[in-house]
Amino acid sequence: MLTVVLAVLSFFGLVVMLRILLGPTVWDRLLGLNLIASKILVAIVILARLMDLAFLLDIALVYAVLGFLGTILMARFIEKRGGI
Amino acid sequence: MTWVQNLLSGVLIGAALIFMGFGVIGMFRLRNFYARILISAKVDTVGFLTMMAGIMVSAGFSFFSLKLGLITALVLLTNPIATHAIARSAHRSGYQVKRGPKDD
Repeated sequence: MLTVVLAVLSFFGLVVMLRILLGPTVWDRLLGLNLIASKILVAIVILARLMDLAFLLDIALVYAVLGFLGTILMARFIEKRGGI
Repeated sequence: MTWVQNLLSGVLIGAALIFMGFGVIGMFRLRNFYARILISAKVDTVGFLTMMAGIMVSAGFSFFSLKLGLITALVLLTNPIATHAIARSAHRSGYQVKRGPKDD
């Protein structure tokens, strides 16, 4: 049952990737990146549940923090036009 | 797992998939950027929350769901902040959106 969820999640990821390619502004792309990061996060958690390995959740935790930091820094970089 | 757990986690995960589907649909149907970021980021966070609740229910009382609760709390805190940073960077850089007839 969880494998079906994984398939649907990867389909959503592909569709959001399409929006990243099409996105008129750079902020659309940043938003798409943020959405894909949270989809990947859910996929890691589902895999941890499927394989019943608790240490995979630590990877998900680190991924959540890094995804957040990346988005924040990219938004700042764009806002200051390079001069952070 | 008792069948109640199975049923409840299935319902929660199904609802989470529907929320995420709305988030993805919102990415395409909405015309301007600000409407898009408002809807899709919020719905996606709710979808994430529901999915985590579903997996917590299916995992039962264990360290697994305790860790999952930590991840959920973290993402619930950071996702809105990241979305706010994106919208603010768009607004501060002077990204104006012309209000079409259908945008009101």
